[in-house]
Amino acid sequence: MQSDLIAEVEETLKRIQSQKGVQGIIIINAEGIPIKSTLDNSSTVQYAGLLHQLVMKTRSTVRDLDPQNDLTFLRVRSKKNEIMIAPDKDYFLIVIQNPSD
Amino acid sequence: VSSRATNVSTSGFLRVSHSRTHSRSINASMSRRSFSLAGDGRVLEKAPMQPARVFDENGTDVTPQPLYRPDPAAVPPRQSKILMAQDVSGATFSDFFSSAFHTTYASFGGPFTRSLFESSIVSKSSQSTMESLNEEIEEPSSKREGIISLSDVQVRREEVKEPTTEDVLNKKVDIHLTETETLCLLDIPATSVSVESEEAEIVKQRNAAYTELCKNRMGNDKYVERAMQTFNGAPKAKEVQTKSITKVDAAITATNWDIYDTLSGTGVEGASCLQKQENFSLPASSSSSRTEMEVFLVPVEDAPAPEVILYSEKFQQDLLVMEKVVLQNIFQPKLAAYRQLPILKDPDSTQKPKDTGKTEKQIQKTEDIPSSPALEPLWSFTCELTVGRNVSSMTWNKMNPDLLAVGYGHFDFEDQKSGLVCCWSLKNLKWPDRIFHCESAVTALDFSGHNGCLLAVGMHNGSIATYNVQSKEKTPITDSSEYPHKHTGPVWQVKWVSQERAHSEEEKGEALVSVSADGRICKWVLKKDLDCLVIWREVPGLCFDFHPEDSNIYLTGTEEGFIHKCSCSYNEQYLETYKEHKGPVYQITWSPFSPDVFLSCSSDWTIQLWRQDLLEPVLVFTSPCMAVFDVAWSPKWATVFGVVTEKRLEIWDLGASILDPTIVQDARPGVKLTSLQFASESDCILLGDSDGQVGVYQLNLNLGEGTQVDVLEDIIRSTLASQL
Repeated sequence: MQSDLIAEVEETLKRIQSQKGVQGIIIINAEGIPIKSTLDNSSTVQYAGLLHQLVMKTRSTVRDLDPQNDLTFLRVRSKKNEIMIAPDKDYFLIVIQNPSD
Repeated sequence: VSSRATNVSTSGFLRVSHSRTHSRSINASMSRRSFSLAGDGRVLEKAPMQPARVFDENGTDVTPQPLYRPDPAAVPPRQSKILMAQDVSGATFSDFFSSAFHTTYASFGGPFTRSLFESSIVSKSSQSTMESLNEEIEEPSSKREGIISLSDVQVRREEVKEPTTEDVLNKKVDIHLTETETLCLLDIPATSVSVESEEAEIVKQRNAAYTELCKNRMGNDKYVERAMQTFNGAPKAKEVQTKSITKVDAAITATNWDIYDTLSGTGVEGASCLQKQENFSLPASSSSSRTEMEVFLVPVEDAPAPEVILYSEKFQQDLLVMEKVVLQNIFQPKLAAYRQLPILKDPDSTQKPKDTGKTEKQIQKTEDIPSSPALEPLWSFTCELTVGRNVSSMTWNKMNPDLLAVGYGHFDFEDQKSGLVCCWSLKNLKWPDRIFHCESAVTALDFSGHNGCLLAVGMHNGSIATYNVQSKEKTPITDSSEYPHKHTGPVWQVKWVSQERAHSEEEKGEALVSVSADGRICKWVLKKDLDCLVIWREVPGLCFDFHPEDSNIYLTGTEEGFIHKCSCSYNEQYLETYKEHKGPVYQITWSPFSPDVFLSCSSDWTIQLWRQDLLEPVLVFTSPCMAVFDVAWSPKWATVFGVVTEKRLEIWDLGASILDPTIVQDARPGVKLTSLQFASESDCILLGDSDGQVGVYQLNLNLGEGTQVDVLEDIIRSTLASQL
């Protein structure tokens, strides 16, 4: 079962990476340290540091408004690309995509 | 009080004289403590000394009278101190100590008085002090610059002590009360004298003499100034060193949710800490509040290892969601078209449209109302798993119209690969949500209406399996392959039929009806096991369709080309037989709008429109030289239906023309089209082909809002009228 799961995870990651316009996938742990990335090191570290703070702030905002609520997904659409973040207690999954590529 | 003070201060004097080190200066600030009475004996010996006599300038004897004149014959004063206190009068001597001081003072009146005398000469006391000494000898006066004028207190002689006996105690004692002398407690003599008083002259003379004295003082040999320097203790710096105190700043911001988490104790950290606590097997605490406190004493655990994160269930789910989001971004215009939402151009798009003229025209085209009917390709469901497989059937989920199940399997006997069922979701166009591998080619599919998760799969080897698409299980819930009465031929169609007319309570619900090449139409009921009820025998059926309103009546098409109308209640007899087709009937479908009308298609290149009461078809549509595999009514318009032949897709709009199809779309070269499905929520149709692709096309017919049922019925009526 575990090996199945590992295979599935790897496959899904590959699929996402191969989609049109996906520039990079970064996975960071709860402390903001990147554990897996498809971008180069400096970009990874930069994204990780900045987005970690952003997600913390966003989550704090959501929960301050209603403590029973929690953040499930965060999308930041900018002129050049879109950053999509799936936050969790233990990790953040970040995908950067430029859909018009 | 002041008398007591004076008494006390006298004791200070006495102490001074004790030490004999001081000769002259008598300190005003004498300590009143630690008065040693031990020296009494010694001093007593020195008592008989020639008392000094003090004379002032005028020769007046101002010898201070001793306060106490002891009776030489009396008991030594040490023992009689207490008694003396009692006998002293004239002052409020209630304190033992004060009287004791007095006694001791009296014993050395001599040396003391001498020192006092000497000091009085030296001091600069004013005249008034002397005078006061002069005058009221009995009056005690306040001390001034070290000189204390001592009052003379008469002391009554000590009486002989009588033995206290009962008689003495009971004896009447006469107590005489007399007025005491007037006591002057405080006398501050004036420092100024009136000019008119008698003393004025004397005072003036005195003052003049004094100023002369002061003047002469400067440079006079009589006066010597002396200075003294005290030794200052040499300061010494002493250093001490301590360990540096490390300071740590700790701060916390108590946010709203932090407080909520702590209060509810259901925060994830709390839960994991509780688990940790169980591992440590701490002693059970009686009150729950204490447990909560213990929870927060456990330190926060470290972040889990990367592998644990990466290969967790949650991560996989998040990945799937992310994939859908990414794809949604890519396919946003297509999905918008599917959902019939206006397609907006991305304002931030950096790409310029390739053919500006064309796109503008296209945009104008969609805005114009009258435009020619067209099929617009949106996307196609395909992935590497499905490439090369033949799409045999498609069905929408009855509960979730975004979910599509596609069965892959070959119709022919040769090339038997294993079958595949993929559940595609509109949210993920590139990879199916569920993949089920079947042992044999899949030939029929149907989603249950009552229970949206149940998918029935009919296979080429005759077995029927049901899957639960909600779970991640890859195995079917039920499988009829073990069933002794299972179909022996390929199952051409399965359908869930809701049982409205049921004989008993148990039969209500849904039953699965299947038609197979072995000549049976079976109704499967899921009790504990799959149970089959044969509805019909001896009919090599290829397809069937239950009446939309009456679930007991159904039509079935056979390989011979007949269409039989049957009822579930009668197992042996047909209700009707429609004989018109010359080849196997591949598909029969009731019209969703008109309850009497149905369509049938067959390999004899025809599609026939029937009305159930007429044994002859109302309309016949021919397709050029090709077997028609599938026909389907549009769920939106009563006059529209789609037809799939091997090489092309035709959309017929009876309102527009009954002779020719309105839209014709050719298949891609080398690919055969196999199945057709209309989308219920949208204007799109799905087209399955032999390459494993399910293409989604948007249908633009511009027929307006109505269902056009009336149009259909008009057409039928007119056709019938014209035939007669």
